[in-house]
Amino acid sequence: MSLQGWYPLVLARDIAPGTSAGTRVEGKEIVAWRDDKGAAHVWEDRCPHRGMKMSFGFVRGDHIACLYHGWQYDTAGQCRYIPAHPDLDVPKTIKVPTFGVAEAGGMVWGNFDAEGEDAAPHPDLPGDITPLRTVFADCPAALLVERVPFTPLDGIAPEVKATEGRIIEIRLGDVTLIAGIQPVAEREAALHIVAAGNPSNDQMKRLAFWAEQLRRDAEEAAANEKIGEIAA
Amino acid sequence: MKRESVIFTFTGKIVPDSFIAFARHRAARLDLPLALLASDDNSVAVAVDGQADLVDAFDMACSLGPHDCIVLDVERAPASPAIFESRNERMGQ
Repeated sequence: MSLQGWYPLVLARDIAPGTSAGTRVEGKEIVAWRDDKGAAHVWEDRCPHRGMKMSFGFVRGDHIACLYHGWQYDTAGQCRYIPAHPDLDVPKTIKVPTFGVAEAGGMVWGNFDAEGEDAAPHPDLPGDITPLRTVFADCPAALLVERVPFTPLDGIAPEVKATEGRIIEIRLGDVTLIAGIQPVAEREAALHIVAAGNPSNDQMKRLAFWAEQLRRDAEEAAANEKIGEIAA
Repeated sequence: MKRESVIFTFTGKIVPDSFIAFARHRAARLDLPLALLASDDNSVAVAVDGQADLVDAFDMACSLGPHDCIVLDVERAPASPAIFESRNERMGQ
């Protein structure tokens, strides 16, 4: 499947400087990592040498090193150093494919269009947010979103408004949540959820439980759908 | 790092089209110019030029070869850089 536009990949809070996180978008393996200066990078999660996941590697300054043989790549994805051949002038052809990256609304976004440099502007989201959590669910992304209005919090049904692309706005009582939708694979999805403004700790705790309930509800619905498919 | 120009002759059960495409891909990945010198159903001879470690890496990659070829022997001999100019077949440039 070809990937178009911007995809939320991870809550910005969840990648500290000097760390990496592996994820998938429609099954494509991606690494999001942050260098020690705080800049985020989104790459293919595969070392060109032996195919090891770069997300298993180590961030050292503005380089990420593959766990397997220690090949080091700079922020442009270019291999700069091969420990087994310290005197080698590494050719420019040894490079990890890199993608467009942006941070908006407390999330790290990746753009996988062929012309990443000329990609459409990333989602315009408010900066005044508090990150809640990411919910991973074993169900299609559309089903996870579909179940949001049917998962009440303290008896209040959420109001859902699709804003743009892969973003939904969820009104839950006096709190507004913004969620980025990540289609991880055909039957796997993630919602990266942030709260607008600065809700109290007690509110955040209740919202986190609500997100967990949403995951259970969506997975149950997906299981029932699958049983229906088998029965048919 | 020291540079080398080497003629490799790979012999064994060779499917020439498949092996040549494989060798060209690996040479391009290693940023080595490649000149195809000869090929038949038993062998392929190519010349590459570049940093010694990259030439060794090419040797190793082609020793394994593509899935439909079995390389039984590899001969390695010095090449003249002029080979690449006369054949005008620089890969990965």
